[in-house]
Amino acid sequence: MATIGHNNLNAKLVLLGDMGAGKSSLVLRFVKGQFLEFQESTIGAAFFSQTLAVNDATVKFEIWDTAGQERYHSLAPMYYRGAAAAIIVYDITSSDSFTRAKKWVQELQKQGNPNMVMALAGNKADLEDKRKVTAEEARVYAEENGLFFMETSAKTAANVNDIFYEIAKRLPRAQPAQNPPGMVLVDRPAEGARAASCCS
Amino acid sequence: MTESQDPFSYPPIDPVNFDLIIVGTGLSESIIAAASSAVGKTVLHLDPNPFYGSHSASLSLHDLTSYLISPPSLPPAATFSDSDHAVIDLVRQPLCSHAEIVPCASAEETEFFRENSRKFNIDLGGPRALFSADKTINLLMKSGAAQYLEFKGIDKSFVYEASGGGLVNVPDSRAAIFKDEKLLLTEKTRLMRFFNLVKQHENISEEDMESPFVSFLEKMKLPPKIKSILLYAIAMVDYDQDNNEVCKDLLKTKDGIDRLAQYSSSVGRFPNAPGALLYPIYGEGELPQAFCRRAAVKGCIYVLRMPVTSLLMDKVTALYKGVRLASGQDLYSHQLILDPSFTIPSPLSLPPSEFPSERLQILSQRDIKGMVARGICITRSSIKADVSNCSVVYPPRSLYPEQLTSIKALQIGSNLAVCPAGTFILYFSALCNDADEGKKLLKAAMNAILTLPVSGSSESIPIAQSDSEDIKPIVLWSAFYIQNLIMSKFDFISSTSTPDGNLNYDDLLDSTEKFFGQMYPNEEFFPKATSPEDTVDEDDNGLTLES
Repeated sequence: MATIGHNNLNAKLVLLGDMGAGKSSLVLRFVKGQFLEFQESTIGAAFFSQTLAVNDATVKFEIWDTAGQERYHSLAPMYYRGAAAAIIVYDITSSDSFTRAKKWVQELQKQGNPNMVMALAGNKADLEDKRKVTAEEARVYAEENGLFFMETSAKTAANVNDIFYEIAKRLPRAQPAQNPPGMVLVDRPAEGARAASCCS
Repeated sequence: MTESQDPFSYPPIDPVNFDLIIVGTGLSESIIAAASSAVGKTVLHLDPNPFYGSHSASLSLHDLTSYLISPPSLPPAATFSDSDHAVIDLVRQPLCSHAEIVPCASAEETEFFRENSRKFNIDLGGPRALFSADKTINLLMKSGAAQYLEFKGIDKSFVYEASGGGLVNVPDSRAAIFKDEKLLLTEKTRLMRFFNLVKQHENISEEDMESPFVSFLEKMKLPPKIKSILLYAIAMVDYDQDNNEVCKDLLKTKDGIDRLAQYSSSVGRFPNAPGALLYPIYGEGELPQAFCRRAAVKGCIYVLRMPVTSLLMDKVTALYKGVRLASGQDLYSHQLILDPSFTIPSPLSLPPSEFPSERLQILSQRDIKGMVARGICITRSSIKADVSNCSVVYPPRSLYPEQLTSIKALQIGSNLAVCPAGTFILYFSALCNDADEGKKLLKAAMNAILTLPVSGSSESIPIAQSDSEDIKPIVLWSAFYIQNLIMSKFDFISSTSTPDGNLNYDDLLDSTEKFFGQMYPNEEFFPKATSPEDTVDEDDNGLTLES
């Protein structure tokens, strides 16, 4: 959920798409400016945050990666809850991954928040000679389904920052809170754990 | 949740060898998955259900109804044989029984519930809440699972007093007790002495510390009302402490003092939570999901909708080797943990003649400690004006003389995203010896604060309650069920326990931690990580989303 305060927006962003499409690579490029040629399946990191300044506000993205739970279609409802934006990633060298991306869009339309900003990313755009999915085909699909579309390359960094900036620009500025915000537990040790009294 | 129709097909599970296979995604299993993954074990976590959480899930109204009425069973096992292993088929037994659902009386409400079914996240193991300073909260923070969760404070805690006009505030501060107009000055003075003594409890004799807490409270000459609040609404004791014959669990003074301390540390621990209790937004089913996500981040593989149908045992040694999935795939692991709904039929239907089956018989024996009755009611108004989320404790004998156990209740409103706007969910639970007693206890507790529809007639709901300040909300939909309390068992094939009758999860957590220690005696239960997750977070560490 995008929450607003003093022109600061907090927005949960989720990544979806086939294993190997480059979800984690996109995030690593965006957050750390890194690219690993042989990125392992997502283990170890699945939660990033990055702040972007757009014209009128700063947007702090909390980026959720799938942690591999998409592999056997076992993402928890928790993953979709309160997401303000989603990037559905496919690999332009794999028609299968594009077909699966469409299924992830359907899943998102079923589980997610209807005001969610959805982006379709055709990743691995640097591998032009192995291309199996045309940009035109993906653009038409995106337009028909209310997504915006970009081809990206985590390897060359092409369009990576752009896709996040575009999402930041499109986030509704005064979104009515669909669900009231709660509090996140912050580690602050309980004071006087043994001070026994129910009345202090 | 998602329908069983799976739009995705996926390849066989790869790899096929694991350190640990866990079946069922209840809270205990999910904590073990996260703890084992955190120390580098390879873990496969399966669930036959299409949802996370097993017996600690939060479900839509539709899914809850079907879960209670027609509990899931296992598909027939793939019967092809295996030359190396004895194949022992598992059976799945429902953990809930005696389910009764009273649907809406009016067509209009029925339609509303049908349309909004998915806006409900109803806890299967309710009532559940966490004390702000309890072990579970500390584990959520230590393990990193807390970063996926948001909580809200429970606004008020009440204790039911038939003579005192129904719901009485549980005083959770010194000021609240001293403002209480029902207490005499001498009683307030005694209370003051009591709290000072308890605060520096090194002044309490060893003999007193080992004595029953109820005797200690009497020795301190505390008034009955305060004694009852301390025992049942703060220390959360289940059985009548004044009746030694039926009391199965007499609380010692030292444990009572620890519970008071926990309650006291809970009040105000988090700035946005006024009372002692917290509840997760979207329901208790978020807790197992958060631990599963922690496990996944550390490499645990997740497969929902995948029943395990059989065990693979070594033909000669009868040692556990692996499991067979409903898909027909065989997977192997050093250890296996099953949720308590899985058992081995006894006697074995098809024991291979030379197979030493004695060891397996141990598994078919279940250690049932008792039962808990659970009830769920949905209303359109709160039991207390201007309060959305609150807990209620009915001490023993507060409803009728034969009431031997205390009853816990929790009302959760739509600001916790568990029900549509303008509705409330109430959970009730009580330990009991049989289903009839459980039902009697819960019906009495519901009747005391709610208006239950009169059976057989939808028109005769009495609305006129003019002189009462809080009009008893009308129950639109209700459910009742009995759940066995099955204890966990650690063996060559282990099983976890069912949700207990407590409000919080500390007992479950203790047994889960012990279980982990038996399985991996040389590993730490959630070693303190250098960073909670590889979180890249420049500007603040807390990620406090307050607004």
